[in-house]
Amino acid sequence: MKILNCPLNGPRNIAEFVHGGEVREMPDPNTCSDAEWVDHVVMEHNIAGVVREWWCHVATAYWFIAERNTITDEIIRTYPASEVFRDRVDFGGPGQGGPR
Amino acid sequence: MAQPDSIGPADRPRRSFLYRTLDEAGARFVEINGAAVAVDFGSAETEPDAARTMAVADLSPLPRFGCNGRGALEWVRGQGISIGDANNAAYAQPDGGLAARLADTEVLVLDSLRGSGTAVHRIEAAWSSDEASGAWPVNRQAGSFWMMVTGRHAPAIFAKLCGVDLRRGTFPPYAVAQTPVARVNCVVVRADLGDTTAFHLLGDCAAAEYQWGCLLDAMREFSGRPVGIGALWRLDQGKSPA
Amino acid sequence: MSQPNRLPPPWGLLIDRGTPVSFTFDGRRYEGYAGDCIASALAANGRWLLSRSFKYHRPRGVLTMTGGDANSLVQLPGQPNVSADRMPIAPNMPVSAQNVFGSLDRDRAALLGWFGRFMPVGFYYKAFYRPGNAFRFWERIIRRVAGLGRVDLDSRPGDYDKAYGFCDVAVVGGGPAGLAAALTAADAGAEVMLVDEHPALGGSLAYARFDADRATADRLRSDLVAEVSAHRHIAVHTDAVAQALFADNWLPVTTGNRLYKYRAGAVVAATGSIEQPAVFRNNDVPGVMLGSAAQRLLRLYGVRPGRRAVVITANDDGYGVALDLAEAGVAVGAVVELRAQTGDGPMAAAVAARGLRVLPGHGVTEARASRGHRHVTGLVVAPLAGDGLPAGAGERISCDLVCMSTGYAPDAALLYHGGGTLAYDDDTATFAPATLPTHLHAAGSVNGRCALDAVLADGRRAGRAAARDAGHDAGPVPDAPPDPSAAARNHPWPIFTHAKGKEFIDFDEDLQVADIIDAIREGYDDIQLLKRYSTVGMGPGQGRHSAVATVRIAANATGRDVNAVGTTTTRPPVGPLKFGHLAGRAFDPVRRTPMHHRHLEAGALMMVAGPWLRPAWYGARTARDGAVRREVRAVRTNVGLIDVSTLGGLEIRGADAAEFLERMYTGAFSRQPAGRARYALMTDETGVIIDDGIACRLSGQHYYVTATTGAVDGVHRAMLWHNAQWRLDVDVTNATAAWCGVNLAGPRSRAVLARVCDDIDLAAGAFPYMAVREGTVAGIRCRVLRVGFVGELGYEIHGPADHGEALWDALLDAGQDAEIRPFGVEAQRALRLEKGHVIVGQDTDGVTTPHEAGLGWAIAGEKTCYVGKRATLIQQQAGLTRRLVGFATVDPDAPVPEEGHLVVRGREITGRVTSAFRSEAVGAVIGLAYVGPEQAELASRLDIKIGKAHTIEAVVVPRPFYDPENRRQEM
Repeated sequence: MKILNCPLNGPRNIAEFVHGGEVREMPDPNTCSDAEWVDHVVMEHNIAGVVREWWCHVATAYWFIAERNTITDEIIRTYPASEVFRDRVDFGGPGQGGPR
Repeated sequence: MAQPDSIGPADRPRRSFLYRTLDEAGARFVEINGAAVAVDFGSAETEPDAARTMAVADLSPLPRFGCNGRGALEWVRGQGISIGDANNAAYAQPDGGLAARLADTEVLVLDSLRGSGTAVHRIEAAWSSDEASGAWPVNRQAGSFWMMVTGRHAPAIFAKLCGVDLRRGTFPPYAVAQTPVARVNCVVVRADLGDTTAFHLLGDCAAAEYQWGCLLDAMREFSGRPVGIGALWRLDQGKSPA
Repeated sequence: MSQPNRLPPPWGLLIDRGTPVSFTFDGRRYEGYAGDCIASALAANGRWLLSRSFKYHRPRGVLTMTGGDANSLVQLPGQPNVSADRMPIAPNMPVSAQNVFGSLDRDRAALLGWFGRFMPVGFYYKAFYRPGNAFRFWERIIRRVAGLGRVDLDSRPGDYDKAYGFCDVAVVGGGPAGLAAALTAADAGAEVMLVDEHPALGGSLAYARFDADRATADRLRSDLVAEVSAHRHIAVHTDAVAQALFADNWLPVTTGNRLYKYRAGAVVAATGSIEQPAVFRNNDVPGVMLGSAAQRLLRLYGVRPGRRAVVITANDDGYGVALDLAEAGVAVGAVVELRAQTGDGPMAAAVAARGLRVLPGHGVTEARASRGHRHVTGLVVAPLAGDGLPAGAGERISCDLVCMSTGYAPDAALLYHGGGTLAYDDDTATFAPATLPTHLHAAGSVNGRCALDAVLADGRRAGRAAARDAGHDAGPVPDAPPDPSAAARNHPWPIFTHAKGKEFIDFDEDLQVADIIDAIREGYDDIQLLKRYSTVGMGPGQGRHSAVATVRIAANATGRDVNAVGTTTTRPPVGPLKFGHLAGRAFDPVRRTPMHHRHLEAGALMMVAGPWLRPAWYGARTARDGAVRREVRAVRTNVGLIDVSTLGGLEIRGADAAEFLERMYTGAFSRQPAGRARYALMTDETGVIIDDGIACRLSGQHYYVTATTGAVDGVHRAMLWHNAQWRLDVDVTNATAAWCGVNLAGPRSRAVLARVCDDIDLAAGAFPYMAVREGTVAGIRCRVLRVGFVGELGYEIHGPADHGEALWDALLDAGQDAEIRPFGVEAQRALRLEKGHVIVGQDTDGVTTPHEAGLGWAIAGEKTCYVGKRATLIQQQAGLTRRLVGFATVDPDAPVPEEGHLVVRGREITGRVTSAFRSEAVGAVIGLAYVGPEQAELASRLDIKIGKAHTIEAVVVPRPFYDPENRRQEM
């Protein structure tokens, strides 16, 4: 069984985690096309190479990000989600700034 | 040592999730924190020895307090509880209790084995929906069972139930692990009693009877057995408050 | 005389001559000693025939003494396919032969051997390719003939156990390399786990002969084993098999009835090498065995493997075998040396000094056997005209033992598992590790080191490297030591084909040289295809003794070199594994509510609901209908109490709590006043319903939201995932376990509650429908929700779980005069169906959208954002393809359709039933069903197919079925 190094709990058997899919940029749901939205919610990029993925340590419900090489299955780095998602996201009307 | 009065296992509205199991195993109960706690199983003299070898005790009715939120650490520290900088570590309190820092936003305060609850009740009372503090109480008292697994074989039985290495070299006193134990998500805190290896084990109260059964099954190999809190008091004696 | 083949001490390292053990084999009684395995005890008594081969039922006996072949498989009561090489004898153990018709000695199926030429490679594919069902007929016969052991269907499961294990360095193999590696790593401070599959440590030191003077190995073994056993940093598992090597040094080890799951910082594979049989006609008859098998019999068990031997060799070890045999009093008829010259090592010199006959440059024509191939009687040898080509009529040397010492293959299973590769060196005819992953080190003969000095140095090197990998300061790691002797260990072509065949490549599968050649001719020249078509290497030995010969033959037949042909990958497990090891201690958590035992005391029939147990109804399993009817009636006319502790509970708190709910759920929450509850529907990014619940606003920054029993953990995770990106000021805590809950429901519920609650004004105006209050019930601090899932006046009371039993007791007590009745899940489902409420997961599936389910009213469309909003808009534009409707049967006495029964129109399927029940209150069978949009209008007729030829008629009716004006729940 693989080991995943949780930024909060340290290295643990990967059975303690659930996978949350690729880290992806969400298109602005208020302005994007239908096709863009469908692509966002349905398609996984599934690239061969280094991907950024969401992982959750179940016992602590702690979400973090792992960089993994899908060719070698090597986990290169794990870090808190706050390293990527630093600021509050608002979905306001015009002028409030769109989602990341 | 003055002992609290004996009571029946269900005499109070707050009850251990295990009171029937304990009662069937011959427990004698005393009142602590407004509930019945198994003090011994009719063999108070031999139970400390069992606890040094391999035993489990139910501490579920003892006082504890959880606090979550971005302001949790700061607020609990403000109540006079000392909490260090590392997550997944427990910090000893002057009254014999522990504060386990579970995350940057999560603290669990455990009372001492005496269960007088002074500190826990004080901070519970101090919390008065100060919404600006960003600290929110979590009902760990009602939501979790609390057991203590003791004895020199304790790391070996955890090895049957849990994928984290809890041997002393890798899991020293006051280390904390949040991990599935017998597939129930638990908080494990190493807190030796004198020179006896001991772990606090807290988890979903709905799985209390299941977990108790798993522990006893796993410790059969080492002739493990349930003991009352009285045995833990005996092992803890002589350990003066810091 | 008992045990005529037993040798005196010091032969027999493992046996205790002071403890005789008597057992039976095929009904005959034999005596051995404690420490004997079945095969050694039988051999001590001159019993060599152990089994019949898989296909031809040829007699088979001791081949390897390692358990790595099918020859030694026997049957124990309740346990098939036990290796006689490995299983210790026990008093009165009844051992029997398997795959035998009649008796082992007179197997009627042995006739099959004569028909061998009619059973070519690929026989099954060819013979049963068509007609389509011919195989079904033949399969029963073939399985009976070509079976292995018998499974005892009445056997009792044993007590199997699992445990995790942890170490810095795991060393697999307790031979000289493994012992040296373990000591070196442990001396560097690493915690070492040493595992060996044999009962005693020492590996080849215990049986092999490294020198003319046997004492060298003996001394080394006792020194190393003593040092390892005394080392406080080394934990030893003997009789234990490292079954695999998985990612990040995860090593399952089976021993006895326990499976250890070891996590190591680094792994040393000191697994040794596997001696390979020579290939010649009749190389399978009992009495023909590996040189190392004869040595194991001699040294480990004190058993003389024959009276007159011929040793076939191409390396120094064969001379060691000859010396051992001679010292044990076995006459050595000849040492047949495949190489042109006699060996030049010290053991060859000792053989010469003893005056034993050596035939350099000779090969094997065939082995001769007694009638029925029961035992070898001689070996025909001749000078070699080239590799594998004995010339002339040759000489027949009579013997009852043939030892084969012509080469080895590394026992590389763990290296393959770990992701390593092996390569073949044509010059030395040797497979050796080519690449290894980090944290995995090969040491000793698996790494191509054979001379004892080199083996020990290689073990020390690997131990040091592994300790370093595990984070210990082990000093500089030297290069692997050279070992020139390794070049003279393997003969490139110890294969002697014969016009009449029966030169076995794979003993397990009864495959001869011609089978491999034929398969290649038929086009299966890729090693992977060759394996699958011919089944070579697919038997119990898993290619241990067949893979090298196969790949050499394939290379030769296709004109490629061995590396181009390649090898097949070995996969876990390394050794036989019982299902008990895999099943072992299984954890299946059961959640019980605080009132669980009260339900049992009240006679509830408990049902599984997600991870929980809940009362289905109160009464016997057979009394369902009456019990549910009584419970429904109690709620409709009087008062009932149900345990809803299994409901999920989420505390959502912080300055952005309202904003967070707006985003997570479809409804509007910002302007929800404190003290009010609202229905909350959750969709995912694809607009599919994933959960629903009630959102109670307790204060400006505090919501308490319920979630469905099975979904709450996932909902909690989804909330945290979204907020890891949104970064709103909100704390989300899963408080499911902390809260118990009951629903007190029925027209008399207010009166009952009033008896135990005096700090909440229960008057309808003060505490209206969909309001929330905090107060005490029976002295217990509770949250009280006026909600109406079952459609009557009712209160959902949530209290601290550790007070749950007291709360339950107090309410039943308060309701005694009102004849309160506890009700279960079945009654609740019926009651909510009468109100037309949807249960997420029951009436929705993995693609149900709010509009399909008729929950469009729960969407606040003007909101800028909620998780499923964009998808919902897209779906709305596309139009609905189905809708959930309420139906009632036309005939009130119609049978009740079940979940999943189809709604049909003619021969077309247009929908399906999700819930249905016979409602006393409505006076009809009612239910919910998905139907096509054109069938969804009120009063549409539906045909529901409830059996092959049975359709019932229903009509679409408005929801709720019961109390459409909601007067009762808002009393």
